[in-house]
Amino acid sequence: MKIKYLLFLYLILHSCFVFAAEPANIQDRYNSLISQVRCVVCQGQSIADSNAPLAADLRTKIFTMMANNESDEQIKQYLVQRYGEYILLQPRFNLTTGLLWLFPLIGLGIFTYFFFLRSNRSKIIQ
Amino acid sequence: MISQRLKFIAPFFILFLLLALFWYELFYSHKNTLPSALVGQNIPAFSLPTLTPPQQFVPDEVKGRVVLINVFASWCNACHVEADMLMKINQEYHIPIYGIAYKDKAEDVRNWLRKYGNPFVQIGLDATGNTAIDFGVYGTPETFVINQQGKIVYRHVGAIDQAAWDNVLYPLIQRYQQSDVI
Repeated sequence: MKIKYLLFLYLILHSCFVFAAEPANIQDRYNSLISQVRCVVCQGQSIADSNAPLAADLRTKIFTMMANNESDEQIKQYLVQRYGEYILLQPRFNLTTGLLWLFPLIGLGIFTYFFFLRSNRSKIIQ
Repeated sequence: MISQRLKFIAPFFILFLLLALFWYELFYSHKNTLPSALVGQNIPAFSLPTLTPPQQFVPDEVKGRVVLINVFASWCNACHVEADMLMKINQEYHIPIYGIAYKDKAEDVRNWLRKYGNPFVQIGLDATGNTAIDFGVYGTPETFVINQQGKIVYRHVGAIDQAAWDNVLYPLIQRYQQSDVI
């Protein structure tokens, strides 16, 4: 029992050091990456906030990919290819998400168009 | 006159459309069909140890016929529910099923096979869950339909029941079996 406990403690401390041994900017990069990835089995959490086993696996996967010198964009691409655009908490701007991003602008355009059209017309009536 | 009447009706019309949309989402949207981002793509590359080492389970094995790849685990409750259905698919419908044991121990998988029978042609042990991530798996059980070219054509989330098999999976498999024959 005691040996198991010690082994457990060792593994936890060991993993801390593995992560801590990386330079600070890599640590920051890792933290920022995992906070941008959705935990797909949770409700509105990133994998940074979640204890779900799948979230832990994805964190490990991201860490390994970083260790293999893959860029943030490559890592995101990998995840999107497998889990869809949904896995990124902030969707990227591309053809599929274009309407989503541009809709507020389009809406504003329509609104201003009608607003000015109406006010112009009411002026004419006056 | 007409435009005034239109103005009066428009908000009600929009509200009606909105309510119709909510109604549809609430009662008719299919929550179990989670389209895989991998549909239409080749099976991800993997090499998994099998229950009979040193043999390895690799994607090339499944090519040439329409097969199912079932991601399961002996610790997963829904997988126990699904086990009899997998046996039936194998024995009555003769569709080859390949298994990926997700985060499972070889011994537990063997016990599982002793209990339910073995519907699998081959089982790969994915102890780390890495291959499951490569497949974009959310949880167990999940089943992928693979066509003869080794491409993923469909993904079923959750246990396969008779209704899902009769209405969705089997017709789909038959269609691919026919269309793929050269």
